[in-house]
Amino acid sequence: MIPLLLLLAVQTPAAPPAPKLPAPDAGAFRVLIIPDMEGMGSAVDIHEVIAGNEGEQYRTLTSDDYWQRFRGLLTQEVNAAIAGARSGGARSFVVNEGHGGNMFANVLPWDLDTAAILVRGFPKPLVMITGIDSTVGTLIFTGAHAGAGKPGVLSHNFAFDAFTVNGTTLNEVGINALIASEYGVAVSMVSGDDVLIRETREILGNDFVGIVTKYAVGRMAAITFSPVRIRRLLQDSAAVAVRRAMNGAFKPYRLPKPYRVEFTLRRSYPEMVVQGVDSLRWQGLEKSGDRSYRLVTSDARQMGYLLDAIERVVLH
Amino acid sequence: MIALLAALLQQPQQPPQPPPPPPRDSTPPEAYYGVTEWREARAKLEPLMDRRGFTVYIIGDMEGLAAAVRNATEMRPPTRGGGQDHESFRAELTDEINAVIAGAREAGATQFVVNDGHGGTLFRNTLPDRLDSEAILIRGYPKPIVMSTALNSQVDAIFIVGAHANAGTPGIISHSFAFDSFTVNGRVLNEAGIAAFIGGEMGVPLALASGDHVLTAETRDMLGPIETVTTKLAMSRSAGAGFAPARVQAELRAAAARAVRRVKAGELKPLRLARPYQVRFCMRASYDPWFVGQVRALKGLRADRGDRCFAYTTQSAEDAGDLLNRIEWIVLKP
Repeated sequence: MIPLLLLLAVQTPAAPPAPKLPAPDAGAFRVLIIPDMEGMGSAVDIHEVIAGNEGEQYRTLTSDDYWQRFRGLLTQEVNAAIAGARSGGARSFVVNEGHGGNMFANVLPWDLDTAAILVRGFPKPLVMITGIDSTVGTLIFTGAHAGAGKPGVLSHNFAFDAFTVNGTTLNEVGINALIASEYGVAVSMVSGDDVLIRETREILGNDFVGIVTKYAVGRMAAITFSPVRIRRLLQDSAAVAVRRAMNGAFKPYRLPKPYRVEFTLRRSYPEMVVQGVDSLRWQGLEKSGDRSYRLVTSDARQMGYLLDAIERVVLH
Repeated sequence: MIALLAALLQQPQQPPQPPPPPPRDSTPPEAYYGVTEWREARAKLEPLMDRRGFTVYIIGDMEGLAAAVRNATEMRPPTRGGGQDHESFRAELTDEINAVIAGAREAGATQFVVNDGHGGTLFRNTLPDRLDSEAILIRGYPKPIVMSTALNSQVDAIFIVGAHANAGTPGIISHSFAFDSFTVNGRVLNEAGIAAFIGGEMGVPLALASGDHVLTAETRDMLGPIETVTTKLAMSRSAGAGFAPARVQAELRAAAARAVRRVKAGELKPLRLARPYQVRFCMRASYDPWFVGQVRALKGLRADRGDRCFAYTTQSAEDAGDLLNRIEWIVLKP
């Protein structure tokens, strides 16, 4: 970790260029699917979504379930969403690993729908929304989780205890929806536990197709449904979401510019992480408290690139 | 190297030091979401209930499964100090639950709520992708009223599969939550009995229990002639003569069908006890004083017969279940 921090301290951070994915065939409607794991069907415990190779603090937080079951179930959920999107009319599918487990390599490439382009690994520009550009027709989030401090299954928000834009608290779906709005792309479908769906409706409004995969009864416990039932729901809902997206039913999530981005790093992180963020010397980033920062920008992508840099400090 | 060895040999013999005490987590139950929120859990399940059909609430435990005998290797996974055999028993647990679902369905049951009731993997032993796909599965820990999470009056019958005999009995891996004894109004209740007590207040009978011969006999003594399936004969707390898993599953299926028919016929009554409930329990003698001190600090408890026994008076069985869950949180924090 120390050599990495030194390296970061001497480098002037430059926004990495967004990757260019091959454009879809003429007229093909492209769906960008961002699967996370905390909100997927059946998963309730951190051991089910962690590989143990993500850093020292994660070493003991894995179990056989992660490798034997939950990566497979995740891949089948993504396949169900793709199948539904296809029947709704989509013809191009990009899957961007949204979950940090196994360093953003959870989906099983051999079992994934062969029509999909899979973005995996870390670091990658704009972490959770790598691959976003104006060729994307609509955004689908699966397995999303509620924000930090909320009574949802494995709730958290990137590296933060608090994250607001213009005073509005955003969860991970909200943050990525704002970045996507820079390209005029809107969210059409979100799945996760009941707390996540309620919270996301407060942020994005009632527009998107929401799927409750489970009802949280603890931060690591839930009333869950069978994988078969969840896949059926995802497939049916993705078809509806894409059909409506192709008719322009969803509006990008917009907030007034310039964006006043304010966040607080997690209290549970060691001081090293705070020093690491300080040593980024990120242009325009002001410190407003011992773990609190402020950034004013008119381009949500700049917020996204800062998140990349912070994730790199955390996931050393 | 030799010099070092000599130096080691010359070191004065020191009396063996006791190992340092393990780090103690004293997070109070209220501070962690999911320990005390039993009303919220019930309110989340109730809208999902099939009000016109027949719902069975199935508690899945593991000690009483066909062929299971050994706590150290079979009841928890390697990541929690157990063995590879745990994975086989997860499949057996799921298959035995599927067997009672199939039987209950034959007799007209329409909805199945499964609550993972075994701590081994911290209440996520049932295999979600092997379980009957119509079932709702409650899994994970902590969860409110751990073995009766979200139980409500829309449930028509409770089954407990893989149950074990009460603390202090000669059953296989016999125990009862964190207790050496647990009584309500002077009646001894095992874990199945406690579930029957909480369900009974809502008018829901416990209709089927499976486990070793000690469990089935003691549960009939507590609750009357409910359906039971004896999966094995206990020979010690870690040995028994077992019937083949396939045979046990067939018996479970038949017993589940009989249980549903008998509940529909009004033959099996909920366990109703007089209010206020006088709950008395003694913490396990194997717990060190730190745990007992944490329990003593819980609100509403009175000291009772010695320093590890307590009494509690309440008008609500769910309140008693919540208290039990707060105690479970003290001894079981993940």
